[in-house]
Amino acid sequence: MPPIINPDLCIKCDRCVNICTEDVFFGSKKHETPVITYPRECVHFNGCVDVCPVPGAIWLRYPMPSMIVYRTSSDYRAPPG
Amino acid sequence: MEEQLIECDVLCVGGGIAGLMAAIRASELGANVVVAEKGNPHYSGCGRRGNDHFETWIPEVHGADKEKFIDELLKTAKGEILIGRDILRAQFGKAHEIVELWDEWGIPMRQKGKWEFAGHAFPGRMMTHIKYEGRFQKTVLVQQARKRGARIMDRIMVDELLRDGDRVIGAVGVHTREDTVFVFQAKAVILGTGKCSRLYQGLTPGMMFNDGHGGVQTGDGRAMAYRAGAELMNVEMPQRHIGPKYFAKFGQATWVGVLRDAEGKPVGPFVSEPDRRYGDIVMEVNKLAPEQYGERGRGPVYMDCTGISDKDAAYMRHWHIHEGNVSLVDHMDAEGIDPRKHPIEFSTYPLRGGGLIVANEKAETSLPGLYAAGDEAMGDISAAATFGWISGDTAVAYARTVEHGDVEVTRPIIAALESRIDELRGRGNGPDWEEANIALQQVMTDYAGKVRNEARLLQGLAHLRRLRQKVDTELMARNQHELGRCLEVHNLFDVGELTFHAALDRRESRGLHNRPDYPFKNPLLSQAHIVRMEGDRPVTDWRSY
Ligand SMILES: Cc1cc2nc3c(=O)[nH]c(=O)nc-3n(C[C@H](O)[C@H](O)[C@H](O)COP(=O)(O)OP(=O)(O)OC[C@H]3O[C@@H](n4cnc5c(N)ncnc54)[C@H](O)[C@@H]3O)c2cc1C
Ligand code: SF4
Repeated sequence: MPPIINPDLCIKCDRCVNICTEDVFFGSKKHETPVITYPRECVHFNGCVDVCPVPGAIWLRYPMPSMIVYRTSSDYRAPPG
Repeated sequence: MEEQLIECDVLCVGGGIAGLMAAIRASELGANVVVAEKGNPHYSGCGRRGNDHFETWIPEVHGADKEKFIDELLKTAKGEILIGRDILRAQFGKAHEIVELWDEWGIPMRQKGKWEFAGHAFPGRMMTHIKYEGRFQKTVLVQQARKRGARIMDRIMVDELLRDGDRVIGAVGVHTREDTVFVFQAKAVILGTGKCSRLYQGLTPGMMFNDGHGGVQTGDGRAMAYRAGAELMNVEMPQRHIGPKYFAKFGQATWVGVLRDAEGKPVGPFVSEPDRRYGDIVMEVNKLAPEQYGERGRGPVYMDCTGISDKDAAYMRHWHIHEGNVSLVDHMDAEGIDPRKHPIEFSTYPLRGGGLIVANEKAETSLPGLYAAGDEAMGDISAAATFGWISGDTAVAYARTVEHGDVEVTRPIIAALESRIDELRGRGNGPDWEEANIALQQVMTDYAGKVRNEARLLQGLAHLRRLRQKVDTELMARNQHELGRCLEVHNLFDVGELTFHAALDRRESRGLHNRPDYPFKNPLLSQAHIVRMEGDRPVTDWRSY
């Protein structure tokens, strides 16, 4: 579940902790790598990714149940057999 | 628990589009303004990551007669019109000025120096929505509010209004990270808490935050207004939206495509090929289309953008990003979904509810000193921005005529909230907010959902009351964050209970209020359905608007 932080890249600036309205990072300590306490409350608005100054330090993984359904040219073919 | 008293002329509850516009205007007029925001106003509310369509009359484009613009809106209305002409006049008398102000402040409202109208449009008719680059709108509005001296307080969930006699004299709220209660003594209070999420089951039951509107606009403004004695209206009238199946994101008019069935036939009569000027308005005319196709064995239904040019694809991507849908674009990239090649399944989204706080063209509610603007009173970005501004005007004019009320007379309300907080925090076990919220969503969806008849509504209401008793006596919060969620759940239960009462009282079928025991629309009920508290019970009434 989103978000995910790479502790090796995170510079502990707290920006993501400060901006998250849902407070997914509740309980994070100042100037420490944020903790992701309430991942189920993430609304995937990407705010944390946008404010993070370090590319790749934080990203969102979209939960499987919200994966988009789309059609490719082979989707309507009957399965073999 | 610490208690802090904050004094101000105008308190804005919610730092969304309406709350910030109210704060900007009220501060500009010299008032001492506080904005209490549940989260962080840079990234809160429906406008948090942007919007891209702003409905407005522009005199140099539409002609000097604003009434013609309003006539067109009423003629091409996509659903039941629940707004009086006075309100539309007030909105479009101001919206074009707001558009100019936003442009000046750094929210790009013109594209390459010109107005660009697109989307939400019937081909051949008047165009009513300009495209604008709203991605950083919240940051701009926060800066403008601060520049004029407004004090913005983050992470405060306001939970009760304070009343002395008829008059609203402040509010009380709780910090969602620290053990502090804030008592606001204000001459005027403006509510702008937005939509009402988490009342009904969402796209994925149990995953309550898979919600395109965000998860923390939980009808708090409606619930506290009702408890303070203000009138709400049409609480029982549900709404539904349409969008990519399973990935709850809005922005129907931003897609450059045609809604088609599995055989490739357009669902609606309005467009047969993708056209960036129009989008496909069938999604607004009939949001139930994907569900109906499914029920008739003709689904799935797709947003079909296949074959659009690279230029149109880049245009759509640009506007998805300004629409607040960066995550949609990211997800499609990550999964290799290319709208030029892949039709994207659309579905009708589940029910939403909550109704509106009754507010007139000056944003006045039925209580002196209380104003409401934005989604909880009118809806959409143009209404939120203009009525936010108008509420700032009205609230300051009122605040100049009154002295501060004495918040000590409201001590029982403050004390009741504080003891509720103690109880919630003190219980070592019991249901948490999530469990209670899921139980509420279940009863709303099953008993006040798509089909409603008297026996079902009465049974649902009885069950909701039993759940409510457990919520009142057993709910627990492990920390301050969960405390906020618990208070949200309390508010949702209030709105839920009112929904049942109002649905029982609306003895007709209309829009998405489907009562097989009263299958016809009753033209005599084409009025505002009012609900307010008398004693400790809801009473209903009908009034023209
Ligand atoms: C992805 C997306 C795209 C959209 N695109 C468009 C568009 O292009 N055009 C258009 O017209 N409309 C669009 N809308 C709708 C539009 O964004 C809303 O109508 C508008 O933001 C409403 O403004 P508001 O101020 O009423 O509420 P919001 O902007 O939602 O703000 C409500 C605020 O109140 C705060 N709050 C809630 N409860 C409390 C409490 N108890 N105490 C303190 N604070 C509280 C919230 O945290 C939030 O900041 C879109 C919506 C979404 C989600
Ligand atoms: S914004 Fe990025 S660098 Fe800063 S604390 Fe969050 S993840 Fe770490």
